[in-house]
Amino acid sequence: MYVITYFKSAKDYTIQFSDLGELLMEMSYQEKSIFGSLVAMLVVYGYYFAAVLHNIGKPEFAATGLGRLILAVIAIIVIEVVYHIVLALESKPEAKDERDILIESKAYRNAYFALSTGAFLVIASVIAADLARDAAPTRILVTPFLVVNLVLLFMVLAEVVKLVTQLLHYRRGF
Amino acid sequence: MTKGRIRNNVRTLRFHSSEMTQQELAEKVGVTRQTVIAIEGDKYSPSLEVAFRIARVFGVPLEEVFQYDSTDSNNANAT
Repeated sequence: MYVITYFKSAKDYTIQFSDLGELLMEMSYQEKSIFGSLVAMLVVYGYYFAAVLHNIGKPEFAATGLGRLILAVIAIIVIEVVYHIVLALESKPEAKDERDILIESKAYRNAYFALSTGAFLVIASVIAADLARDAAPTRILVTPFLVVNLVLLFMVLAEVVKLVTQLLHYRRGF
Repeated sequence: MTKGRIRNNVRTLRFHSSEMTQQELAEKVGVTRQTVIAIEGDKYSPSLEVAFRIARVFGVPLEEVFQYDSTDSNNANAT
């Protein structure tokens, strides 16, 4: 049983759903689309990054990781396409209106902050690794494949920030 | 600083228009039902264009649909 509660403020409204099915029934087409994308991202990339973490530092890291990365991207595309076909059959697709676009704009703003923070951290880690190698030529873990994965991680996090922002705005009112 | 809040009579106007549903109003105005729900709940202030379209659907002036309540916090503090 799922209990999902949204709060805006103490005196504002609170919606409680004791069942995830009830929540899904009540959602608009846009919300269902966003919710599905969020679940797909979290499941596929959650699995992918768990595997990357498991193999980090191993010699075969880059070789096996590349195949897994391609699989993850294909999996996301397939899941999204199938989910949206089912969603279109189950509920009538609605075109985005001005509120949807406004909420999406706010979500992209938050995602931009997440992505630029991530980009800064990746740049900082590459510079730090370079300086450390000059100071002490030891085994440095910052390989190109690791950098690729760090960039991908922050891209995924930015997308998750976008989707969560949208869901919160839809639920809490805007 | 002036803090305002836009209120509306959309729900009442729907009721007086042969109990028009939120979906019917949404289709006539060109927005989603969720946006009509958000407007009625004072959780979203629509653009001027959508506000005029809502007023046109009910055949009333804009001021009859939307009202702007403002309270001047500076004046409130001074008095």
